[in-house]
Amino acid sequence: MAERLSNREGIKGMANPTRYGIERVAYWLQRLTGLGLLAYLIGHIFETSTIVHGKVAWDKMLEFTQTPQGHIILTLVIGMCVFHTANGIRVMLGHGGIGVGKPGQPEYPYKAASLNYKQRLCIWVSIGLAALAMMYGASVLFGD
Amino acid sequence: MRESIIMKIHYGTALGAVVLVAVHILMRMTQNFGQSLQYQNVIANYHFLPYALMLESILILLSVHGFNGLRVILLELKQGSSYEKMVNYGSIASMAILIAYGSRTILMAGMGMS
Repeated sequence: MAERLSNREGIKGMANPTRYGIERVAYWLQRLTGLGLLAYLIGHIFETSTIVHGKVAWDKMLEFTQTPQGHIILTLVIGMCVFHTANGIRVMLGHGGIGVGKPGQPEYPYKAASLNYKQRLCIWVSIGLAALAMMYGASVLFGD
Repeated sequence: MRESIIMKIHYGTALGAVVLVAVHILMRMTQNFGQSLQYQNVIANYHFLPYALMLESILILLSVHGFNGLRVILLELKQGSSYEKMVNYGSIASMAILIAYGSRTILMAGMGMS
């Protein structure tokens, strides 16, 4: 009983990014970027709704968002968006059985075929693309 | 609805949103970013029917995808009949509210009611 309970880590177990390598980090980043993007979507819909109150309200909103802090947030959103998209396509293809290898007899040291180098490479490529997009986005936003 | 169908909708909305959001961002890049946000330019976007329809599509696709994603995360954290029901209905309600609020902006700005 005590052993069974010790295996129930709950949210702490789900939140632990140190085990299972880069795949767990990607799992976490996918969820965190998803939540961040949902928060941005809600904020973006709210900020754009000020246009129905006329030019003065719109310009006031721009004064609030078109600041260095606003640009930093937008740069982060660009990075989150690119990572979420690229990693999401990897996950989608994986669910379709593409790039996860063939099932085989489990043999020591029991490495999962699905967590292969292709998957890991795709995760690193997603992170790299997000970094590049952030740099480009920042150059456009701060270059104005 | 079966979870497998919901996941297909989740992936479908993701792919659709990627394409449309790319067009939305590219429209900002056709001119200087700051200039593209000027009141007249933004209002002109809403008055252009194909663009307004595209904004509406993005709104629906991202709301469905976003709130379904949140639903999946919440169901991963905890399970239980009443909790799952609450999360499912809560997500649908939030999705509907966000779509209604965004559509109001698109309609009012598009019809010159600002």
